[in-house]
Amino acid sequence: MFKKTHVLLTLVLLVIFSLAGNVLPGQHQAAAKEKHNKTLVMGTSADYAPYEYIDTAKGNKIIGFDVDVARHIADKLGYNLVIKDMDFNGLVPALDAKRVDFVMAGMTPNAERKKKVDFSNTYYKAKQLIVTNDPKIKKIEDLKGKAIGVQLGSIQEKEAKKIADKVDNVTIEKRNKVPDLVQEIMSKRFNAAVIEDGVAIEYLNKNPDLSSFVIPGSASAGSAVAFQKGSDLTEKFNKEIAAMKKNGELDQYAKKWFEPKTEKKAEKKSIVDFSTIMPSIPYILKGILTTLKFVVVSILLGFVLGTILALFKISKVNVLRWGADAYTSIFRGTPLILQLLIIYNATPQLTGYKIEPFLAGVLTFGLNSAAYVSEIIRAGINGVDKGQREASMALGVSYGSMMRQIILPQALKNILPALMNEFITLTKESAIIAVIGTTDIMRRAQIVGADTYRYFEPLITAGIIYYLMVMALTVLGRMLERRMSRGD
Amino acid sequence: MIKIENLHKTFGKNEVLKGISTEIGQGEVVAVIGPSGSGKSTFLRCINMLEEPTEGKILFKDQEVTTQASKIQQIRKKIGMVFQHFHLFPHMTVLDNLTYAPVTVNKMPKREAEAAARELLKRVGLEDKEGEYPGRLSGGQKQRVAIARALAMNPEVMLFDEPTSALDPEMVKEVLDVMKSLAQSGMTMAIVTHEMGFAKEVADRVLFLDGGILVEDAVPAKFFAQPKSERAQAFLEKVL
Repeated sequence: MFKKTHVLLTLVLLVIFSLAGNVLPGQHQAAAKEKHNKTLVMGTSADYAPYEYIDTAKGNKIIGFDVDVARHIADKLGYNLVIKDMDFNGLVPALDAKRVDFVMAGMTPNAERKKKVDFSNTYYKAKQLIVTNDPKIKKIEDLKGKAIGVQLGSIQEKEAKKIADKVDNVTIEKRNKVPDLVQEIMSKRFNAAVIEDGVAIEYLNKNPDLSSFVIPGSASAGSAVAFQKGSDLTEKFNKEIAAMKKNGELDQYAKKWFEPKTEKKAEKKSIVDFSTIMPSIPYILKGILTTLKFVVVSILLGFVLGTILALFKISKVNVLRWGADAYTSIFRGTPLILQLLIIYNATPQLTGYKIEPFLAGVLTFGLNSAAYVSEIIRAGINGVDKGQREASMALGVSYGSMMRQIILPQALKNILPALMNEFITLTKESAIIAVIGTTDIMRRAQIVGADTYRYFEPLITAGIIYYLMVMALTVLGRMLERRMSRGD
Repeated sequence: MIKIENLHKTFGKNEVLKGISTEIGQGEVVAVIGPSGSGKSTFLRCINMLEEPTEGKILFKDQEVTTQASKIQQIRKKIGMVFQHFHLFPHMTVLDNLTYAPVTVNKMPKREAEAAARELLKRVGLEDKEGEYPGRLSGGQKQRVAIARALAMNPEVMLFDEPTSALDPEMVKEVLDVMKSLAQSGMTMAIVTHEMGFAKEVADRVLFLDGGILVEDAVPAKFFAQPKSERAQAFLEKVL
């Protein structure tokens, strides 16, 4: 009996330590050959084909125009290139936090960004297109009374505002990602979207329903590389960009990625077609390991911490009780995603420690789950017959042994269904960590969506995986319950 | 062995014990009787500090129990207790119930503890139940296991808090028989009970409590034949 609990405890600690030891997030990509001894870390958001994206059918390498240019420059400057994938909105904060050395993500220098980071000269100038699936929209004026989508915080957002000033009743809708915009057009929630030509070309190639036209006089601020303020890389990059412009290498890369492919106007695809994402399914499946690792560590952390908090809550020491109550109140009273973003983004700002996405996620979910688990366990402890405590005390058993071996095992049996419920919730909610770029099941499904321009299929695949994981947990819970109810 | 001086216990505004002083000698069997609400159980529970006295002193072998919160665990090891509702550990087998405290508290080797536990189970007539979980035992069997569990710690005193009150009538005897043989073996015992026949037969002394006061302290023959106080007379009239 006691041996069993010890073995379990040891196992739990082992898992925690071993996992804490290798919290390497899956999205590091070392340069193929370590030919230099210095390394530059590039931040990007790999859902912006053809600038940067993952060909999920072929593996999990980030490719694209920006990647080629970055690799070329880094090589010339004598660095190996490491690419970190994250949400577009997280790129500037990542520079700020020194998580990355530079950012290439088809990013346009605008006044707001210039306040926080330095930009190189532009390496590619794009034109802004109106992309639509409404054949009647052929010029700006046709957008009257329509909804147009833009990527949040992008140059296209400014372009859309200009249109709204000129044309009546235009509503501007913002989304985090370009693939979302296209999806909204397909779902007819938007009538059109402002997308730059290099990006739009891929969608236009693959989707015969879409048409486009250039916005007259559209700003073509172009893409530039972003650096930390005062970085000495800025000048070095500028020199290389100038050289590449001069010798035509930049044009070659642009041709490789931005020219329309000959296979243009493919035949119309059926509404649901899993065959298109078949090659990418292994890519999504790899996310299971990340999600599992994440869920297991979070659950363990939440459980251990929750138990301690529960003990505080039933303690006679006021400070411990109030502390634990306040803790629960805060973590239950604020949104999980807010906690995640605070821990991920504010930690580097406040402490200078560049917390990894995986660690930030595990911390957030563990801390959050502990609040709920502590309430469940507290109720469970209170539910154990008072006589058990008295019998232990009368035998001279210490408080610690009594809790571990007498009270908690009985409490756990009663609260097992509630605990399983909490673990199931945590498993599903873990999809939120996709926001900070952890390549879990959810993030991978989104990346496949961005790569294949199909959304239903990868999302359904992810849904099935989550469902199966939850079912496995449910079955496990039932088995545990049955085991623990022996002796009744 | 146990000395109680001016023991008071108050729950909120309710004073349950109003200054009780008495002694329990080595090898003595003391029955504590009285109407419900008289404070018998509270009195017993104060002896091993399951209830903290509001006032007064309790000495166990000349050590003061009441002021030594840190030593209370050491003292409790020497004082076995049997409860009305058994309070066996439901998630452990009968054998584990018996070996748990000796192994955990006294660091007795498991093998040795198990041998001692089997011996005790034989003594209470339950040697065939060591692998059962308490949930599968009858009330009388549970209480006998509870007695064996307390004995497993080799206590110097045994406290019984209404050990037969929760039992079906046909199971009372098997428990009382175990207690009787324990008394005969020379164990010091304090028993809160409603079993007047048992008190009469087994106890060396009877303490009669009423309203938080120790009203009478006498040998059973004398107490049951001619109680001095009116309260004791009235009580005995009702129960006998």
